[in-house]
Amino acid sequence: MASLVSVKGLKMSFGDLEILKGIDLEVRRGEVLSIIGPSGSGKTTILRCLNLLERPTGGQIDIDGQNLCNEDSDGQMEYATKRNLREIRKGIGLVFQQFNLFPHMTALENIVEAPMAVNNVDRSTAVEAARDLLESVGLAKWADHYPLQMSGGQQQRVAIARALAMEPAVMLFDEVTSAVDPELVGEILLVMRHLAEQGMTMLVVTHEMNFAADVSDRVLFMDNGVVVEEGPATQVLGAPQNARTRGFLRAVRDRAPMDEEQQ
Amino acid sequence: MGSWDWSIIQRCWPLMRDAAWVSINLFAWSLVLATGLGFVLALMRMSPIRYLRWLSALYVLIFRGLPALVILFFAYFWVGRSLNLSPFQSGVVGLSVAAGAYKAEIIRAGLLAVGRGQYEASEALGLSRAHLMRRIIIPQAVRVMIPNYMSNATLLLKSTSLASVIGITELTGRARQLANSTYKPIEILTAAGVIYLALTTVLTVSQEILERRFRLKT
Amino acid sequence: MSIDTIQEYVPIILKGFWITVRLFLWSLIFSTVAGFILALMRISSVAILRWISGLIGWLFRGIPLLLILFYAFFALPEISRSLMFDPFWAAVVGLSIWTAAYQSEAIRSGIIAVEKGQFEASEALGMTKRHYMRRIVIPQSIRITVPPFIGNAINTMKQTSLAAVITVPEMTLLARQIISEDFKVAEPLLALAFIYLVLTTLLLMVQLGLERIFRLKV
Repeated sequence: MASLVSVKGLKMSFGDLEILKGIDLEVRRGEVLSIIGPSGSGKTTILRCLNLLERPTGGQIDIDGQNLCNEDSDGQMEYATKRNLREIRKGIGLVFQQFNLFPHMTALENIVEAPMAVNNVDRSTAVEAARDLLESVGLAKWADHYPLQMSGGQQQRVAIARALAMEPAVMLFDEVTSAVDPELVGEILLVMRHLAEQGMTMLVVTHEMNFAADVSDRVLFMDNGVVVEEGPATQVLGAPQNARTRGFLRAVRDRAPMDEEQQ
Repeated sequence: MGSWDWSIIQRCWPLMRDAAWVSINLFAWSLVLATGLGFVLALMRMSPIRYLRWLSALYVLIFRGLPALVILFFAYFWVGRSLNLSPFQSGVVGLSVAAGAYKAEIIRAGLLAVGRGQYEASEALGLSRAHLMRRIIIPQAVRVMIPNYMSNATLLLKSTSLASVIGITELTGRARQLANSTYKPIEILTAAGVIYLALTTVLTVSQEILERRFRLKT
Repeated sequence: MSIDTIQEYVPIILKGFWITVRLFLWSLIFSTVAGFILALMRISSVAILRWISGLIGWLFRGIPLLLILFYAFFALPEISRSLMFDPFWAAVVGLSIWTAAYQSEAIRSGIIAVEKGQFEASEALGMTKRHYMRRIVIPQSIRITVPPFIGNAINTMKQTSLAAVITVPEMTLLARQIISEDFKVAEPLLALAFIYLVLTTLLLMVQLGLERIFRLKV
């Protein structure tokens, strides 16, 4: 079966600093892929390249049959045009670490804004869909509240609903629990788990190892801009082949014994 | 110190009131034009085209470096005479051109203050640039701009007094005329001062109302 | 319009340069002193001092500078013979009090920016108030006060042009005279604008320089 997300030889440099040194990854429809690794490994950069928020300096990215970037015969990078990019982005949902909700709009307004403006959905349909989404993330009663009136966990759930409102084919999650108080992390992970169970294709950059273990189909461990190990979740997290993977997992588990209890 | 003559204020009041309206008119027109000009300049400053950025920066540098009076003289003696403008029109042109340079910086600061995350979230959702600016960025930029914008507007109101130098009969010019012709400068000038204070207070109150209206609900 | 004529006029207009500079420097000195006094009054624990300072600030920021100058020139002599100034000193008085009203705010914001917590910490550590002021408050306050202070100073420099309206023979008046006498408009104004731009740009560089020094002191 053809992959929904296909990345070949992805390279990304900022000036002299090479962040991604040639990444290959594939995600099939309905699959959940978690990307783990130390900070600075380039995990977030991969997601931002997938959306062309950053323009890769090398490699090829295809999502749902559409090409976002590739290298032509001279090795020069070609990117999707502005118009095509907007179309492609409708099929990709991105949830940010810092939520990035529109603070001057209510939760409901945040969610209906893009469907109405971009997909030309009429207001009543959009609002109904938005309320359903808010219900599914457990925030039905918060439709008319403003972001600053809500906790970090609630804001992130609204952000997820907002991305889902565009009915994307794939959802990208960029360390979505890192900026949230520890006791509120669980409610976000629950929403993501439900989404996975419903068959959404997801790429999740995270340090929540238990989530990665429970919900992902595959896990990819990155360090220093390269993929160190990749495979089924049970294997990479349970019986890692690579010494660096083992070292990283040991450090993470030693650091946060409480994570084990959050089962 | 002699006695205070209230009757002179009473008798001069109609003249001063009419002149105050001229001041308000000058202010209103200049504010609108300056804001429009400032907005265009701010967008130019943020444009990807280097020539536009440079032009906008140069404009701001020049017109913030010149005294408002000098700019008014340019407007009246040079531009006004070439284009056959009335003194009032020349005054508005001069005041707008001068204030526009300040508005440009205020508006630009407001637009920049909206965090990058808002741009990225909108792009990720597929919103067009125009939609992004209109519905997401500008409402938030306005909130940030209000204090500086309003204090600059207050300065603009006070700078309408300069129009008296190019022959427009606004409040300060009228006050000076009356002060000299009635030989009661204290009463007349104080009355003019009170009117200005009333007008600036209106602006200050407006500022607070606007700040409250645009405040993010927490 | 020719460049030569412009060049001819520059020296003529520069005859008013020293008057402009003296207006500026005297106003700067007086306004800084007055600004300090007003700022200290504003944060004093004595309510009536706070009240008076607040009133003065509000008053002189709420009316146009031109009106203040007219007051200094026309009205003060009526109040008392001893207050009859010649145009130059009337302009200095007006400019000083106007600038002081703004400088007091700049100075005040610098002082209050240092939070109370630091004072309490210094007391707990056994520091004297003088040591605290010298090593803790002043370094931090200066960094906050200097930018708006210099901004106000640059404004004062530009506003010296208004002294022309009360017949002080500074540069703008001289340029105005050339317009009426020689019937040329563009050349004298451009010469005048050029001179002002040089002056304000110099002051801007001073401001940038000072900001850099204070940033290094971190």
